[in-house]
Amino acid sequence: MDTLVARYSRPTYHQDELFSEQEQQDLCEGGMPSLKFAMPPVAHPSAWLRAATDDRSNPSCPIKIAHGTTTLAFRFQGGIIVATDSRATAGNWIASQTVKKVIEINSDLLGTMAGGAADCQYWLAWLGMQCRLHELRHKRRISVAAASKILANLVYQYKGMGLSMGTMCAGVTKEEGPALYYIDSDGTRLAGNLFCVGSGQTFAYGVLDAEYRYDLSVEDALELGSRSILAATHRDAYSGGFINLYHVKESGWERHGFSDTNPIFWKTKLEKGEFSNVTSDLSERV
Amino acid sequence: MPGFDFSNYNRNAALHARGVPLPKATSTGTTIVGCIFDGGVVIAADTRATSGPIVADKNCEKLHYISPNIWCAGAGTAADTEFTTALISSQLELHSLSTGRKPRVVTCMTLLKQHLFRYQGHIGAYLVVAGVDPTGTHLFTVHAHGSTDKLPYVTMGSGSLAAMSVFETQWKPKMTQDEAVELCSQAIQSGIFNDLGSGSNVDVAVITGEKTVLKRGYVRPNERSQKLKSYIFPKGTTAVLNEKIIRKEDLGNYVSVHELSTTEEGGDKMEVDT
Amino acid sequence: MFSQNPIMNGPNYSFNDAPPKANAPEGARQHRFDPYTDNGGSTLAIAGADFTIMAGDTRLTSGYSINSRYHPKVFKIGGTTADQHDATLVLSVVGFAADGEALKERLDTICKMYRYRHGKPMSVKACAQRLSTILYQKRFFPYYAYAILGGLDDEGRGAVYSYDPVGSYEREQCRAGGAAASLIMPFLDNQVNFKNQYVPGSGEGHALQERERNPLSRGAVEILVKDAFDGAVERHIEVGDGLQMMVITKNGIEEILQPLKRD
Repeated sequence: MDTLVARYSRPTYHQDELFSEQEQQDLCEGGMPSLKFAMPPVAHPSAWLRAATDDRSNPSCPIKIAHGTTTLAFRFQGGIIVATDSRATAGNWIASQTVKKVIEINSDLLGTMAGGAADCQYWLAWLGMQCRLHELRHKRRISVAAASKILANLVYQYKGMGLSMGTMCAGVTKEEGPALYYIDSDGTRLAGNLFCVGSGQTFAYGVLDAEYRYDLSVEDALELGSRSILAATHRDAYSGGFINLYHVKESGWERHGFSDTNPIFWKTKLEKGEFSNVTSDLSERV
Repeated sequence: MPGFDFSNYNRNAALHARGVPLPKATSTGTTIVGCIFDGGVVIAADTRATSGPIVADKNCEKLHYISPNIWCAGAGTAADTEFTTALISSQLELHSLSTGRKPRVVTCMTLLKQHLFRYQGHIGAYLVVAGVDPTGTHLFTVHAHGSTDKLPYVTMGSGSLAAMSVFETQWKPKMTQDEAVELCSQAIQSGIFNDLGSGSNVDVAVITGEKTVLKRGYVRPNERSQKLKSYIFPKGTTAVLNEKIIRKEDLGNYVSVHELSTTEEGGDKMEVDT
Repeated sequence: MFSQNPIMNGPNYSFNDAPPKANAPEGARQHRFDPYTDNGGSTLAIAGADFTIMAGDTRLTSGYSINSRYHPKVFKIGGTTADQHDATLVLSVVGFAADGEALKERLDTICKMYRYRHGKPMSVKACAQRLSTILYQKRFFPYYAYAILGGLDDEGRGAVYSYDPVGSYEREQCRAGGAAASLIMPFLDNQVNFKNQYVPGSGEGHALQERERNPLSRGAVEILVKDAFDGAVERHIEVGDGLQMMVITKNGIEEILQPLKRD
């Protein structure tokens, strides 16, 4: 752990008034996601970080980090469907209702965001850079398996230091066909047909597992993705906002809207008769 | 005296030990002051009540009645100052009835300190007790743990340092009533502007041998600014799923109705945008 | 801020996640590394069709004390000189003032370096991405600062980017930050994005039409900002003294200072 800290960190205090060569370099070219991080000058950086930022173990922590919520992706005959909600919460505060939790790594690969929003944004952008470098070096597109492994290896290096991410990598390649991987900040990397990640995952699984078949038509698959997120936003307070839908095909991914959950909910209820637990009829109550 | 109900104590202590935060009481992070003058005593207070960083009440009353010639300014937990003064007020009234004498300020102060000491600071009432009785003019402070002070000028609450700085530079012995009122008002305003726990208006109570005058809103240096725009929505702006109308005549079917007179009495009208 | 409210903290509070009790012996002193203070204050940014307004109060507090009645939270970024007369971007920071200052200095240096090297000011989009990496580079020792970046995008439209302390960011129409964010943001949702507003009589029940969103004029936004802060000052003790507003248009950045209540 300490060697790791030493390798990826530099002291945060500068005695010099002027910037050193290295610092000037950093200031000008540090725009690329890199592996250099400032560290707090304490014996146990990760414990300190948890006390300062983790609102689950310390509800009155000073820094509230935005967290992501319900995301899902599944493989089917027509490619992969990726769907997410759009709510970000910091503690009990809804920080945003318009987060883009599907991250476009490049024109073929998608990543999803659950857990720490900044962790996902940063490392998936970094992954995009690695994928492009791979393309330039090897003159062909990176496989989804390789891309997901780059990410998994990266987060494994930072294990125990406080990263929080649960992400899915989705892409369709000639060699692999539709490929879907789940990677989380513990270092887990799993290939699979179907994943839901986030605080609303159980609600999404409930709908998805019931209706899922591999030979779903594209239209039905999109509808199922959307319906599963809707179920999660309905029951999970930390999910909500808009449904963000993507379809990944061999020719690349395609966006299928960023649509408000509220009208979709009422449409689903009134036209399909679902959500019968919800009623607006005053005469039914005592 | 009706005692406190401790039946939830063990449960709450267990919950707290497991990390559940305690409920937050409204506190009057406050500036209160008192000052003796020739012929009586003045007490004054700001009117802000806070709950954490949020202003819970912009115009609360922190000057409490004890008896016609004894008044109390309260800082600390709002409920504790309110109920402690009311409790002592009634005890003092009974005492005065049974002895057939006017209540004395020392008696009030002693009852308060004995009550507060018994609860070892758990009753968070910090008080300035002032009054005029047959033995003379008196001014005391009483702390939540039960300690008391007797001084010619006093300050308490989170703005006590700001207020005391005014007294320490401007107080002089044998002031007139007007001078004392003005000095107390300046001290409170110093708290209002320099202490975040204090704000809004200055309330003053002047107690002399003859009578007590409560000047609510003696200075109002923080009037709310007018909104630059009207925020009235056209009728029908809010979406409604369903509606059910219960007529006033039929209200009796759901709750018991007592007609009250419509004339307004007491209580401050709330400021609202029109 | 409301998350400290036990009522709203209600049923989601999991006992298993409660912090373990420190098992230090009685009377033992623990030396802690506590580098942060909350200096209060609030910020606000609204993007219009061809302008952006960034605003913040100028009070700096710690605990119940006012440390300064004029400590700006809104800064021009990336000008070529110290007076920043040719700056095109504005950064607002709220949280811990020292971290905010450090963050502003760092972003300003970077924007200046970029300008010297490329002979043109940094675009908001590029600066926004750069600010995200600056924040994330301190992922394990975060800046305790909630930043909002404002400017005009390549098409000349108003742009607002908002950040969490470790760099997750998003382009938005409007955003409130800091102590009174929870008081101001719902007001903005309703008055800028017309949330929960429907067109009266446009339909029965579910056919009721939502009020259409159209961009606000500069005058209207300035009024909203002033009213939002006047409201926040009434109910939040850490907000007050002065209101600093920066209006970014294609003609440059205009700074407006107005008084707020001082109690």
